[in-house]
Amino acid sequence: MKNIVKGRWRVAVALGAVAALGLSGCSLNEDNASSGSGSGNGSVLRIGTTTDVSNFNPLQSLSKTDSWILNAMYPHLLRIDENAKKAPELAKEYKYEDGGKTAVFTLRDDFKWTDGKPVVAEDVKFSAEMIMKYKLGNVAAKLTWVESIEAPDATTVKFKLSQPYAPFAEGVGFWMSIVPKHVFESAGDLSKFPNDSNWVGAGPFVLDSMTKGQRYVMKRNENYPLAPGGKAAVSQVEYRVYPDVNTMMLALRNGDIDMMGTPVPVSAAKTFENDSKIKLEKVGALGFAHLTYNMNNKHLAKQEVRQALSMSVDTKAIISSVLQGDAQQMAGPISPIFADYDNTEIQPYAYDPDGAKAKLTAAGYRDGNGDGFFDGLTIGVACDQSNANITRVVQLFRESAAKAGIKLENQCVERNTFLTRTKNGEYDIDATQWGVFDNPMDQLRSTYLSSNPGGINYNLLKSDEMDKLINDAAGTTDPEAFKVKIKNIDKVVHEQAYLTPLYVENFQFAYNASKFTGFVASPSDLLGMVTAYSLAQVTPVK
Amino acid sequence: MVRFVLSRALKAVLTVWIAITSTFFLLRLLPGDPTTLMVEGDMTPEMQAALLKTYGLDRPLWEQYVSYLRELLQGNLGISFRQLQPVTDIILDRLPWTLLLAGTAFILTIAVGIPIGVTAAVNRGKLMDRLLQGFGISANALFVPSVAILLLVFFGAQLGWFPIGGAIDPDTRGAAAYLSLAHHLVLPVLSLVLVQLGPYALTLRTNMIEVLGEDYIRAAQARGLSARRRVWKHGLRNAILPALTLMGLQLGTLVGGAVLTETVFAYPGVGRLIYEAVGQQDYPVIQGAFIMLAVTVVIANALTDMLYAVLNPRIRL
Repeated sequence: MKNIVKGRWRVAVALGAVAALGLSGCSLNEDNASSGSGSGNGSVLRIGTTTDVSNFNPLQSLSKTDSWILNAMYPHLLRIDENAKKAPELAKEYKYEDGGKTAVFTLRDDFKWTDGKPVVAEDVKFSAEMIMKYKLGNVAAKLTWVESIEAPDATTVKFKLSQPYAPFAEGVGFWMSIVPKHVFESAGDLSKFPNDSNWVGAGPFVLDSMTKGQRYVMKRNENYPLAPGGKAAVSQVEYRVYPDVNTMMLALRNGDIDMMGTPVPVSAAKTFENDSKIKLEKVGALGFAHLTYNMNNKHLAKQEVRQALSMSVDTKAIISSVLQGDAQQMAGPISPIFADYDNTEIQPYAYDPDGAKAKLTAAGYRDGNGDGFFDGLTIGVACDQSNANITRVVQLFRESAAKAGIKLENQCVERNTFLTRTKNGEYDIDATQWGVFDNPMDQLRSTYLSSNPGGINYNLLKSDEMDKLINDAAGTTDPEAFKVKIKNIDKVVHEQAYLTPLYVENFQFAYNASKFTGFVASPSDLLGMVTAYSLAQVTPVK
Repeated sequence: MVRFVLSRALKAVLTVWIAITSTFFLLRLLPGDPTTLMVEGDMTPEMQAALLKTYGLDRPLWEQYVSYLRELLQGNLGISFRQLQPVTDIILDRLPWTLLLAGTAFILTIAVGIPIGVTAAVNRGKLMDRLLQGFGISANALFVPSVAILLLVFFGAQLGWFPIGGAIDPDTRGAAAYLSLAHHLVLPVLSLVLVQLGPYALTLRTNMIEVLGEDYIRAAQARGLSARRRVWKHGLRNAILPALTLMGLQLGTLVGGAVLTETVFAYPGVGRLIYEAVGQQDYPVIQGAFIMLAVTVVIANALTDMLYAVLNPRIRL
């Protein structure tokens, strides 16, 4: 009997173990069976990413990490180059007709979908129309002005607009993914189309297989005209999922991956200094850190208070301590990365707590109780507490503002709460960092135009003057006149101190230079080194 | 016994319903909605409304709840907001990994915890007991993510003995795949076992000391039974009964611990899925994952109760 019991236990344990292993083990690498090649092959580029692909539908996805994979599969009309200027991708060129009311793109004729069909104007028309029909992603906002789309031949697409909008072609060209009409049109409602298998793309790489939570394998498109030689030198790109940037850094150092998709934090970049294989590439940002003042606050509605606050921020100290000097100070609301629009006539408000005090005194504020703070002038500063840099900025701002007699309350909260409060205008000062602005006009329209309810007018500004200036510039298709108008808006925002721009961060991307070379970095952490164009230029080191 | 089983089953159903309902409403009490996280640049109110309609979040809360329950009764966990795929498929894709991780940790905790508890009890007051108690108390104070990060940095990054992420080397096949699987499992399992082991061993020690003082053990000694037989056959059989309850409770902790462990080690289980879904406010995935975990824990607890009743008929009275 004893032996039988023992035997039963052994069998049960063995069965349990086999079942458990079998459950995972059998399906383990099943998805990858078709990929064939292993990482022992020198032309496999392994990239670290922080999350799984949440949505494979490029017309709908809004995730940064999704875009690293999807942008390599689905072409865009334009790309952004190292200097933040738009460069041709699927479109060879674009122009405006009818006084700016028609945007015309001329496409290349050598892009092909991986099923052999050519990429044609009808694909572009279909993609845009589906975005408009189902209101997909953020691109839908950029198509607001479109009345109709024509594809008179295979390489021409015409967008008829209700009114001229100067950066229309740039915005749509850069943001809109082009999908194969012959594949997507049979999916019906594209807002519900997951596109999670049998991928057909026209970028340098196309997804081949995936093991969720672990890796995404992309195979080379044998026909990609923007790669030297007509196809990428790397035969396979593999994205591996890591929980956070620190683990990813360990994986890069251990040789598990060849590059990091996310930027290396400034504080951690030094850890790579002693590793001869790892190289860091520095790129600028398309967004910037800033303080935005809520105009519905009775104090912040006053220009003098906003200016005094701008004088109370020790931006240089912030850059030095928070970013270890690796950022550029800004004066107006347009990032200096857009060189054509950089207004050198304006200078940042100098850090001057005494000057700020004098300005507030002149505006009628008093310190009646002698506590060192102006009476009744207590202002909250809201931020996302998961952003370590901005949290530190708020702390330093509080300390420097106190020297100017301004009492600030730290109101940094959990991210969702912060976003909800921001959306509802429940804050005094909003300390945050913009994500990606690909052109100044979209930025100004989004942040200051009072009649743009979908924008991010966190000032809650309602200014006839600004509305007029923005609408006037938006309809100006002459490039030179446009630049002048943008610089003028820049000046007004600076004088009014609607916001205090803080810094444009530099991002650093790390990769194993002993194995791969040739990356073409683009500004921002959204694009960085993992754009379609960049991946198509990479070559293995011999 | 039938009445007992029915009563336990009813309680299990009630527990799952409470878990479903509280998860549903708690998620919606969170600030914002899934579209809040998507506002980056322009998103017109029309677009936001279209998204909310697609997600079914434009309807009154009670209507959403009733509809959700109706779908659940038909075995439908819904469609993920972000991935646009059935939640059941998404979870079933991840569940085997969590079962493997938590299951291995569970078995190892028991396999190692029993000898530790028994040895400490047998050597009560001696150096061995004090050492094992010290270990148990220290392990009791451990926090899963801290242990996991320490193991990851030391054994993964510094010594390079174990992988620092993932569940398997993607390029392995056949026997090599199973070896790779086990290799990847070591650190996550170890972090869970280290944390679970303390309470388990200490409870067993206490029970064992109590049992070893019982009359029937002394009687067995008088009958000339060997110490080994007295302890491991007669003593352990009775001492392990209260520890069974702890095992059931530990399953819940294990599942919670797996969420944290999977996040630290980029292990592709349900825990990691929850972590990502919470970040995206993907309600259907979070709800589905919690239901799966709740059902797993409730079933395990119910089975423990029933097993307890089988082994100790007095509690059925």
